[in-house]
Amino acid sequence: MELKDFIQNFADQFDETDASEITATTEFKNLNEWSSLIALSVIAMVDEEYDVTIKGDDIRNSQTVEDLFNAVKAKA
Amino acid sequence: MAFLKIENVAIKGISACVPPLVEENRDIPFYSLEEAEKVIESTGVERKHIVSKGITASDLCLKACEKLLEELGWERESIDLICNVTQTSDYTNHPNVFILHEKLGLKNDCMSLDLYHGCPGWVVGLSAAASLVSHGTIKRALLVDGDNITSVQYGQDRESRPLFGDAGTATALEFDEHAAPLVFQTGTNSVDGVALIHKKGGMREPHTLESYEKELGWLSGDVSTEGVEDLMDGMSVFSFGISTPPRSIKQLCEHYDINIDEVDKLVLHQANLFMVNKIAKKLKMPADKVPSCLKDYGNTTSTSIPLTIVTQCQDDYSGKKQKTIACAFGTGLAWASVYFETERITIPSIISY
Repeated sequence: MELKDFIQNFADQFDETDASEITATTEFKNLNEWSSLIALSVIAMVDEEYDVTIKGDDIRNSQTVEDLFNAVKAKA
Repeated sequence: MAFLKIENVAIKGISACVPPLVEENRDIPFYSLEEAEKVIESTGVERKHIVSKGITASDLCLKACEKLLEELGWERESIDLICNVTQTSDYTNHPNVFILHEKLGLKNDCMSLDLYHGCPGWVVGLSAAASLVSHGTIKRALLVDGDNITSVQYGQDRESRPLFGDAGTATALEFDEHAAPLVFQTGTNSVDGVALIHKKGGMREPHTLESYEKELGWLSGDVSTEGVEDLMDGMSVFSFGISTPPRSIKQLCEHYDINIDEVDKLVLHQANLFMVNKIAKKLKMPADKVPSCLKDYGNTTSTSIPLTIVTQCQDDYSGKKQKTIACAFGTGLAWASVYFETERITIPSIISY
């Protein structure tokens, strides 16, 4: 799996945040639009796109988009 | 392999009772109207029936049992087994099944079984009760399933307050050599069980005066739940809920050669609408075959499958043959899927306590 695609898939879960605002180093929990509902969308996206089941801790322990990518990659 | 095929048992009727008090999610004080709309959109829950003080699961279940027996025309003496499922017992010692056995006036020569299970409870209870009936000496059984989960919920818990409702249900089973088999796939992922756990107040971590004062404050809804350790890990539960149930249902269909396209109803545990829709989509089930009672009843824990059948599909189940796949999942983390066929069964209209 590619980081570039993951960032795109991640950014797709947001409605109001421009995709250009989201990069590998973005601390996603600081984004205005970030919410528990977006978190569920991200979990569903990871399940659909990568067939990986992540847990709440994977989200809680990740700061940047790349951290989360690495957590998913480790389980893929 | 936790597959199970149970022959000679027919489901003859299903009933459900809810408390009359309704809480509208738009009226929950800690949400702005905008927040409330967002929560409603994602959970699918607009309102829930919740118990008022003094009403418990056994009260709701009793009404459901009485109505079902009446409409079936079953004499109390004909019941050989009562199996109750709850996680909210009336008493700390004396399982609800005995309370129901007494209040229903069942005979002494009747087996009682009480199961402590969370959301998978109705399907797990069905596997246990049907297994016992399949031997042939127990002719008729009542599977009773109810929770007053909102009584043990913290008023300011933003994840659970908009979601959960209360209900009691009854399911009638009968030994029938012509019945189509009931088939199950069940499983347990206890390693992730911490996502849905309440530790305080049991044998391992008994309450102290201090902890009990805190507990009462949280239960009353007057005290913020900040710092509470035992809140549901909604993200982990969600992740489990969208991945494991579809896999379980696919395994069930494969193992027992069930063509999912020929199934009339896929009745899923009503966890929340987002999850229900994800699971249905993964199984490519059209929306009209996947009923939901979330809008008016919320997530009613283990009762959500029978409650959905009673409130959304009364005509289909009472009027024609139905092939059903049901799947429930939650506390454990555990799950249970079942395929069953029913032939015009007795479904009384939803009862208000």
